[in-house]
Amino acid sequence: MSDTTSANLDRRSLLKLGLGASLMLGTAGLTATLSGCSSSGPAGNMAVLRESDLPLLAALFPAAVGPHPAFSENSNAIELAIAQLDRSLQYSSPFVQSEVLNLLGMLSMPLTRGPLTGIWGDLAQASPEQLEAFLLRWRDSRFELLRKGHKSLLQLLHMAWYATPQSWAAVGYPGPPII
Amino acid sequence: MPVPDLFLQGIERGWQVIDASALAQETTLEADVVIIGTGAGGGTSAEILANAGLRVLLVEEGSLKTSSDFKNDEAKAYAELYQEGAARATADAGIGILQGRTVGGTTTVNWTSSFRTPDQTLAHWAEAHDVKGLDSASMAPWFARMEERLGIAPWAVPPNANNDVIRLGCEKLGYHWKVIPRNVRGCWNLGYCGTGCPTNAKQSMLVTTLPAALEKGAVLVHSARAERLVFEGDRVSEVECRAMDATLSQPSGQRLRLRGRHIVLSGGGINNPALLLRSKAPDPHQRVGKRTFLHPVNLTLAQYDRDIHGYYGAPQSIYSDHFQWDQGTTGPVGYKLEVPPMQPSMTSTLMGGFGLQHLHHMASLPQSNILLALLRDGFHEQSQGGSVALRDNGDPLLDYPVTDYLWDGVRRAFLSMGEIQFAAGARAVMPSHAHGRLSTSWADYQEQVAGLSYRLHDVRLASAHVMGGCAMGEDPTRAVVNSQGRHHQLENLSIIDGSLFPTSIGANPQLSVYGLAARLASQLASDLG
Repeated sequence: MSDTTSANLDRRSLLKLGLGASLMLGTAGLTATLSGCSSSGPAGNMAVLRESDLPLLAALFPAAVGPHPAFSENSNAIELAIAQLDRSLQYSSPFVQSEVLNLLGMLSMPLTRGPLTGIWGDLAQASPEQLEAFLLRWRDSRFELLRKGHKSLLQLLHMAWYATPQSWAAVGYPGPPII
Repeated sequence: MPVPDLFLQGIERGWQVIDASALAQETTLEADVVIIGTGAGGGTSAEILANAGLRVLLVEEGSLKTSSDFKNDEAKAYAELYQEGAARATADAGIGILQGRTVGGTTTVNWTSSFRTPDQTLAHWAEAHDVKGLDSASMAPWFARMEERLGIAPWAVPPNANNDVIRLGCEKLGYHWKVIPRNVRGCWNLGYCGTGCPTNAKQSMLVTTLPAALEKGAVLVHSARAERLVFEGDRVSEVECRAMDATLSQPSGQRLRLRGRHIVLSGGGINNPALLLRSKAPDPHQRVGKRTFLHPVNLTLAQYDRDIHGYYGAPQSIYSDHFQWDQGTTGPVGYKLEVPPMQPSMTSTLMGGFGLQHLHHMASLPQSNILLALLRDGFHEQSQGGSVALRDNGDPLLDYPVTDYLWDGVRRAFLSMGEIQFAAGARAVMPSHAHGRLSTSWADYQEQVAGLSYRLHDVRLASAHVMGGCAMGEDPTRAVVNSQGRHHQLENLSIIDGSLFPTSIGANPQLSVYGLAARLASQLASDLG
């Protein structure tokens, strides 16, 4: 394991949580809905993603993608990426949609977010360093569920970002051929 | 230059194609044979049965997308043309699954690699799984027939640089490599097979067998899921279907009833077992959905001092079987080495890391190459594959445990692939792993691979080949259907597609499905004649 610090942190906080952690993970979506932290329906211009997911995603995209020039070149870069993610989710299955909403719900709900991510304030306001620490902590967790969360979250964000044409020039992809 | 859209032209000429999502009322349709699924198995069967003079009715869960819809657009294709919008995965999300969901099934989106079923695999089926009559010699003419039908031939154009890594590396190391046969005619060498062929060069079911069946009067219903088989005694009397919603997420539209004297399941691994489970089909020995195989894939990324541009050019044209059979058919897991196409959206999920590190890896995309290993699962007792069950809403769910037997293969494949990439001149190689880092020497890379964690989610695993789950074989206690694809308990039900395979194939499976389907459907045509 390359990062023992975050692995230890992870163990400490999860030991503190005890058995409740996995239970919480499982019920995060439900709790989030009940507590009113996440509205149950999709946001106004979205098919799947809720209003409460949007500021989270706006913070998470740069954390996952890194300092890509399109973020500064294009004032609506994140909006485009979120819209892309929403379109992809729309075509997935009810199960995939609920998994993603549960994951995002878990990140917006204080009860789960603090202990599981180490970010005790609003994740949308977290510093880049805090977000990096959270992603490392999940990557190195001995809990399969958190490692799964790490992988799923990054895959969703990376795929959506690099599906948008704004992302291509900076990584040298000339774009698809036009027939 | 506009490419003629063969399918839309056919519809204008009067092909009977029904979009279930546009139906205004409940509908009942009848034919001699109802085929559920329009991929390699269903398409091949449809042509043969229609040519035999039988009235054929096909139903497809995906929608109809044709060459004029295919814009080389990754996101659009993954959403519209793949099962669960390309977000299908095993129950614990350990392995992502790419499987087609559109007219033509996976053949519409696959990368065109076309191999005959290896002799070793067919011999193993006869020996260990009581499969009768499908030996290499008697299958050869069926493979030849489908090679002819689908223009399958070794790729005659030079490989793109991504594929050429395998040739260069294997040449240098004295390892086996060979040119991949592809099912194309007049291919433009674009590299976007995975997003639907925009030029109709790929000889998928969408442009070959399905049009041929439709010309003969077959009826195609798309955007409808077969929800349930209805039984009368030991016969299937009806197939209950329901139209999918506009984004193909759930079956919430009009109901359809399909009737035929014979029913053929060609929905592929995962979906065929799910239909049988939803229908509570007789399964006295609990075999339905068991032994589902995936060819689990792990990958390595390499960077070069030269341009690779792996997003352009035929996606798969060179392979190596050096590590496929070297430890016997039933020994430690063998694997086939190939490359994936490298369009940015999919590739970004394999680059490892996040933030600045990920961006650095992406910035080298034009000079990067990825190798993949298809692990040949199902040939050893510690590789029993996965098991299909149902979610609460009736959607399928595949539980596929990754055993130590497979992890051993993953580790060995990391080494084989890295060695080949370094031999081909890579300046750095990285295993696709949550802790992967770029090693700049073969020695450091070996050390890295030895020290990696081999556990779920750390190692990036994927599958594009779902096989098995409705195994064939003569022993009803072990198989769902016999060696002719006829159900052991239900008199008028056949299964014809990759879900029949008692193990994985050990090669990209489409030609295995075509050859087997041609043979079984021809037999069925004469049985029904």
